[in-house]
Amino acid sequence: MTAPDPTHDTHVPPDATAHVCDRCGRPFINESQLALHRGLDHADDLSPDEEAAIETAHGEEVADLRRFRLLALAALVFLYFGFLMTYAVVT
Amino acid sequence: MVPISSRPGHVGRTVFALSLALVTWVGVAAAHTGGLSGATRDPLAVPTWLFLLTGGGVVGVSFLLASFVTDRRLVDAVHDWNRPLPAPGRVLRTLVRTGAVVVLVATVAIGYLGPETGVRNLAVLVVWVAWWGGYVASTYLVGNTWPTLNPFRAVAEHLPSLDHTYPDRLGAWPSVAGLLLLVWVEVMTPLADDPRLLATVLVAYTAVTLAGTVVVGVDDWFGEVDPLARVFRFYGDLAPVGLVDGRLRLRLPGGELPDTVLDGRDDVAFVVTLLFVTTYDGFVATGLWADGARAVEGVGVPPVGAYLGTYLGGATLFYLAYRTASRIGRSRAATYLSTDYLARRFAPALLPIAAGYHLAHNLGSVLVLAPTLAAVGASPLSPPASPPQLASLPSWFGGLELAAVLLGHLLAVWVAHATAYDLFPSRLQAVRSQYGVTAVMIGYTMLSLWIVAEPYVPPPFIT
Repeated sequence: MTAPDPTHDTHVPPDATAHVCDRCGRPFINESQLALHRGLDHADDLSPDEEAAIETAHGEEVADLRRFRLLALAALVFLYFGFLMTYAVVT
Repeated sequence: MVPISSRPGHVGRTVFALSLALVTWVGVAAAHTGGLSGATRDPLAVPTWLFLLTGGGVVGVSFLLASFVTDRRLVDAVHDWNRPLPAPGRVLRTLVRTGAVVVLVATVAIGYLGPETGVRNLAVLVVWVAWWGGYVASTYLVGNTWPTLNPFRAVAEHLPSLDHTYPDRLGAWPSVAGLLLLVWVEVMTPLADDPRLLATVLVAYTAVTLAGTVVVGVDDWFGEVDPLARVFRFYGDLAPVGLVDGRLRLRLPGGELPDTVLDGRDDVAFVVTLLFVTTYDGFVATGLWADGARAVEGVGVPPVGAYLGTYLGGATLFYLAYRTASRIGRSRAATYLSTDYLARRFAPALLPIAAGYHLAHNLGSVLVLAPTLAAVGASPLSPPASPPQLASLPSWFGGLELAAVLLGHLLAVWVAHATAYDLFPSRLQAVRSQYGVTAVMIGYTMLSLWIVAEPYVPPPFIT
């Protein structure tokens, strides 16, 4: 894993409140991104509260991913039949 | 540790296998519709717009399929896989280096002394067939051996150094300019037909390189300025054999790219320029360009101005398009990572595409001219009047070339996917961050396929 350097590689707009990781200093847009980041990159020392936050964020992530997969599947089906029809008509 | 990947590995693996099967099928369907340079397209095949749409569709579909692979451990396992290899000895290294210098000197000498017809002169064959076609392919198919083989470096290391410090603010921009200049010379002059000119360009290149290394030192010159060394270094990042932590290791092709962070905008511009120059080379041989250049010449613009304007304008446009893609990726992913950083992380994903096109463009001519190279190499100063060539390539060869292009694109999509997973804690964020770069890839595929599908028209106004 190649970690970005929080001082050079990030840009937080002046009017935004970033959720900053207390271990590596990387800023995130929301709490659940930060929780997921902790679970991935700082999994060795987590407090029970943080673990609970990670569980919650992970649940949300899985739900979002499921929704995305449905949309992606719909797009695939659309592309497949779109091309099938187009080829049938054109050639 | 809290388990983040809830999906069992085998589900991810099944999806991955299924994706590959589907993509291959789509690839085969596309392969029937067109071929690359040399392979003539079936006149009854699908119309160009559908051909282009299919190419773009394949890239889009592979992005969607890759997005189904959400198991972080699988993604990591694929690009972290590697095995140690034995290191070659010092004796071998010295032999190879000396051999390369001998080849360079012989090439220049035969360029001046040998026959004047390109295809009968060993210099032209060595540079374009053996080196540009064959050797360059080995840098991404096997590994980057250029730092060892580089004859310019072998000589430069024995020269005294003035030890001027390389100005850091220049970064790698001189190499971008150098790459543009080299390809400009290649497009505008009959470098592949005129052995004398080729030898002169080689001498000039050697002189500039040696002077540069004396002034700023060997490492800075080949690291920041020399375009060839940098092209090979980037291609080498894609290759299955490479240095990991100073040790020679075997890895999966492209496995190193998701971990590659380019140093700055200069490096990003270099990678994008590498893609652009391939496109330009093909674009000036289309009917659209011939008509356009003649029209512009008709209103009084000198042809070289039209060529140069399109060249520099196109390079800038490519770079800006990629920047915009990074900006889109940044806003879609909802992240505080800077646009600059994202551009530096995702640009290596473009390298497999460049390699795919290089292979497709050169594989055919390397095979056809390999017997010529052998025959002329046997007696470089009095070669046969009409050296042998491979009579013709089988009809499925066009499909093979198209497969190289497609494989490059599929690898690019996968590298972008793995990069995004490395960058973002949320997997949906990772998927969204790829929207920009995927759009760029779809657009680039369609543009390149259009160039490939257009009949070859000799570029007007240049000899």
